[in-house]
Amino acid sequence: MRRIREVFVEVFTAQNISAGYNGRTVLKNINLAIREGEFLSIIGPNGAGKSTMVKVLSGDIRPVSGSLLFRGSAVEKWKAVDLARGFSTVHQSQEQVLPFTVYDFVRMGRFPHQGAFRIESDSDARIIGEAIEITGLTHLAGRKITELSGGEFQLAGIAHALAQNREVIILDEPVSHLDIRHSVAIMDILYELNRQGSTIITVLHDMNMASDYCKRIVAVKAGEIFFDGPPEIVFDYRKVEELFDSVCIVRDNPITGKPFIYPVPEYIRKNRQV
Amino acid sequence: MTKKFYIVTVILLATAALVLVSLCLGTVTISPLQIAGVLRGEDIGPAGKILLNMRVPRVLMALVIGASLSVSGTIFQALLRNSLADPFIIGVSSGAAFGATLSIIFSFPYTVTVLFAFGGSIATVLTVFTISRRLKMGTSSMILSGIALSFILSSAVMLLFSMTRSEQVHRALMWLMGDLGTARFDMIGEMGIVSIVIIFISFMFNRHLDIISFGERFSRNLGVTEGVMILLFWIASLLSALSVSLAGVIGFVGLVVPHVVRRIFGPGHVWLLPVSAVAGAIFLMVSDTAGRIIAPPYEIPVGIITGFCGGIFFLLFLLRKGDNSL
Repeated sequence: MRRIREVFVEVFTAQNISAGYNGRTVLKNINLAIREGEFLSIIGPNGAGKSTMVKVLSGDIRPVSGSLLFRGSAVEKWKAVDLARGFSTVHQSQEQVLPFTVYDFVRMGRFPHQGAFRIESDSDARIIGEAIEITGLTHLAGRKITELSGGEFQLAGIAHALAQNREVIILDEPVSHLDIRHSVAIMDILYELNRQGSTIITVLHDMNMASDYCKRIVAVKAGEIFFDGPPEIVFDYRKVEELFDSVCIVRDNPITGKPFIYPVPEYIRKNRQV
Repeated sequence: MTKKFYIVTVILLATAALVLVSLCLGTVTISPLQIAGVLRGEDIGPAGKILLNMRVPRVLMALVIGASLSVSGTIFQALLRNSLADPFIIGVSSGAAFGATLSIIFSFPYTVTVLFAFGGSIATVLTVFTISRRLKMGTSSMILSGIALSFILSSAVMLLFSMTRSEQVHRALMWLMGDLGTARFDMIGEMGIVSIVIIFISFMFNRHLDIISFGERFSRNLGVTEGVMILLFWIASLLSALSVSLAGVIGFVGLVVPHVVRRIFGPGHVWLLPVSAVAGAIFLMVSDTAGRIIAPPYEIPVGIITGFCGGIFFLLFLLRKGDNSL
């Protein structure tokens, strides 16, 4: 017998979505179905519309045309608080950062679950504790978020998102300006969450990170979906070169066995062509 | 946490002591023994009348208005995500000033002046609200349209002044400075209770305000609706309008108090709102008492005292804290 859940196996469904800012169209006729349990990475050149895609999914901008469904029904039909329970978003940067402690910041993630004026329950406290533990911030729980390093702050943002919701997490370039230790730490956390059933949707700049960790790659070029599929299939050097208008070599990563992309420096090409 | 509880206890004890001191001091000094006598129902002559008809309502008024302005400032600072916001940022005071000046010039009774001031401030809030909704630029459009409206209304007030006899201009000016000398029991009764109820309602939104102060996107992601933000906007505006129409434009309380409290108690509104309310109440009551005793028999309008003391205190506070994270 089919479970009810399976009826809404598609978490997000973009139907012919165009979106942009101030009359300028950035995304054109996007059709995309994101299913439960996916670890999906959006990649592409700067300005291609990756962040706009995240903004459309997270509800920060409304599509100019087309419609966005969350679990089978149009997002406009969802109550704000139910959407907030249904997925959480980690943005590239905070609009405003106030000197709350890490614990209090993570606790804010419980807000949509607590009803307007209800007091915290034991399960809230447990979920907050878990979120902090998963992100390895236990020793920093009492620290003010304004005093964290870039990597720690990103982890705090993820902990906040986890406290809010673990089913669907959207992230906009979660590792783009972090050192490799923090990058790998964050990607490992996301991988583990996905293994436990979370749907992860993330913009990544580093294609090799995307290749090593993600099950599905959606490449965006000039506002349209350029290719879409598992990294082993879509990371063909011809496709990658066309995506970025540059010269690349694709080999297998000896450790993970996933495709590994090397950009070829211009001076090498000049020497070889002679 | 224990440090905060300690501070709260001290604040509450200090409030009680300062209320007593404020009741005693003034152009006529009333001893605590006499106050105790009045409480027991004894007749202590003219001092009793002064106490009941003037001191008590005036102290109550200072407490309510100080609390209202501080809470209003706290909410506006969160809503507009601007720590320089104060209760008058969207032009409430200019609207009230225009209404009050109009009423004073026509020599209407005090009650009418209060109503005119209240009407003027609410009309201003409505205008700013409508304009910024139409512009859809978020918080900055609110601040900017508030500034524009303030300028227009200030010019209108000046225009009224330039066409009026000087004694009425003087009365209007005194009102503009913020004066608690005109406090009366009947006024504090209705508007005071409304203010206190609104202040307590605002306490229930402390977690919303925490989230709102992180920004629009953050609030939306957590399901804080625009409706709640509009409600809080009106709560803050109403507190500001009620205060300004009862006692004129008392500056600085709503800016300084939330600021100082935030530095000590942190950004969480669960502490920020109630502590600001109490601290604002004390600050205004002490300022008013100081205005009564500095240069008897004259009374210095409380708005002047809050400006002076608040400004100097704030500067010292900023220098001592030595950090510029305004």
